[in-house]
Amino acid sequence: MLSTLELSPQTLDADAPVRIAVKNLDFYYGEHKALKAINLDFRDRHVTALIGPSGCGKSTLLRIFNRIYSLYPEQRATGEIILDGRNVISNDIDVNELRSRIGMVFQKPTPFPMSIYDNVAFGIRLYEKPPKSELDDRVEGALRRAALWDEVKDKLKSSGMGLSGGQQQRLCIARTIAQKPEVILFDEPTSALDPISTGKIEDLLEQLKTDFTIVIVTHNMQQAARISQYTAFMYLGEVIEFDATNTIFMNPHKKQTQDYVTGRFG
Amino acid sequence: MVAVTDQFAAPSAPVRKTPKGTFDLIFRNASFLAALFVLVLLAGIMVSMVIGGWPAFSKFGFGFLTSSVWDTQNDQYGAWPAIVGTLSTALIALVVGVPLSLGIAVFLTQLAPPWFKQPVSTAIELLAAVPSIIYGMWGLFVFAPLFAAYVQIPLSNIVEGMPVVGTILYSRSPSGLGILTAGIILAFMIIPFIASITRDMLDQIPSVLRESAYGIGATTWEVVRHVLVPQAGVSIIGAIMLGLGRALGETMAVTFVVGNANRLSGSIMDPGSTIASRIANEFNEALGLQLNSLIALGCILFFVTFVVLVIARILVSRVKSF
Repeated sequence: MLSTLELSPQTLDADAPVRIAVKNLDFYYGEHKALKAINLDFRDRHVTALIGPSGCGKSTLLRIFNRIYSLYPEQRATGEIILDGRNVISNDIDVNELRSRIGMVFQKPTPFPMSIYDNVAFGIRLYEKPPKSELDDRVEGALRRAALWDEVKDKLKSSGMGLSGGQQQRLCIARTIAQKPEVILFDEPTSALDPISTGKIEDLLEQLKTDFTIVIVTHNMQQAARISQYTAFMYLGEVIEFDATNTIFMNPHKKQTQDYVTGRFG
Repeated sequence: MVAVTDQFAAPSAPVRKTPKGTFDLIFRNASFLAALFVLVLLAGIMVSMVIGGWPAFSKFGFGFLTSSVWDTQNDQYGAWPAIVGTLSTALIALVVGVPLSLGIAVFLTQLAPPWFKQPVSTAIELLAAVPSIIYGMWGLFVFAPLFAAYVQIPLSNIVEGMPVVGTILYSRSPSGLGILTAGIILAFMIIPFIASITRDMLDQIPSVLRESAYGIGATTWEVVRHVLVPQAGVSIIGAIMLGLGRALGETMAVTFVVGNANRLSGSIMDPGSTIASRIANEFNEALGLQLNSLIALGCILFFVTFVVLVIARILVSRVKSF
């Protein structure tokens, strides 16, 4: 099983600065404690994968970084997530501004009910008022970056809902990177897509890590092995093991990790 | 495995009843007749309305729609004031009711804390269940006097003599009754419908779309304005059309508060009448051509509400699949 995992030669820079530091993070859904004492460092311009069986808390963890959980009053977090020297889960943070700096791409494509152009421009317009020509350039740049430009350049004014599932997901990625965030969170971005679309998204992630810090939740271990430099294995709300991806998949220290990545449970 | 196969394959024919089909046939025909009944009923109503209204249509021709005369002494009838009254009260109802309804629906689905959401939702359902005569009585005895004292009289003093608004908003007899009052009461009556349908439509939007709109840093207003309402857009228009259908045909409450004047006035503060209120007021003593004219009015109302409801059904059923 291990040998079938194709591990790409991971160029990981152990000296890269820590972009997000998670310290003693606990998370509650009402009374239920879903995350227990999480400590993790996410390195700048690297892809970190969160893996683990369903319900282990990996998506929950992802949804804390951009405070999406704050939409639901019964959910709360304690501890620290340090981004640029500030604790993002403290009450005095401006969550809207935070979310413009931490982009998120969801399991299902979520094009907004507007044109392809407006979908990408929407996030830019929220915080900046660039002149038309600059906005056009930003939109084109984001669509090129998301490898979607050639497919949509002749129909920018048509609805984003009319694209295929894979195109819609790349549109959502374009919308996210157009805002020039520092961090992009991917919550199982390919789970609703066919293999070809999945391949395109994975290629894209490889490109994006030169500019962005990326955290990705995935159920697909081959995907984690292919695209990430660091991997955290989570189980029942705890981080069991966190290390370089090659170590996690080839030479894990914990038996639980070994069992999971070799497919013995999960 | 073998046992299972045997159980199904072995033809234990003697035990099994052969389907006779008699009962099935009766049942099928009975339910077919039940369904047919609806069509016959609708056709019957339409035919008798057209036959009953025909003398008026043939005597006055197209002029029946455009004439403002309603003279029982000389047997001259025209539908124009009632048509204008019906359309203007319904329009006022939408102008007042739609923003309030959307506000209620957005608040309930996006902003309300759980302890407040349930009571408001229940109150809306209850409002929808209040009989229209209650709205009418409340409008006549409670709302109209207050409206006359605190809106009509002060407003008339302000706008008197002004161009345009001096005509539209001036009330010659500030009794509280009139087109505007009827429109406002209608707004109260259609709010529960529009608000509850819109709330359901907004609730059907997948939470992941809402989260991704918040996820790029949009405020609640931006999420609602640019993502949620457009996403539910066609269905919300459908909900508004359903409300419009009700406002056009509402009889009892409007008859109480519209003032029942046969004359057409340029002011929305003045009494007027709608098709439904005209029919409700006169059908009891109507004879001959007057009765034909009332039925003809009914035909017009039937046609207008039918068209509105068909459009509403089409729009509501076209909920966008995500």
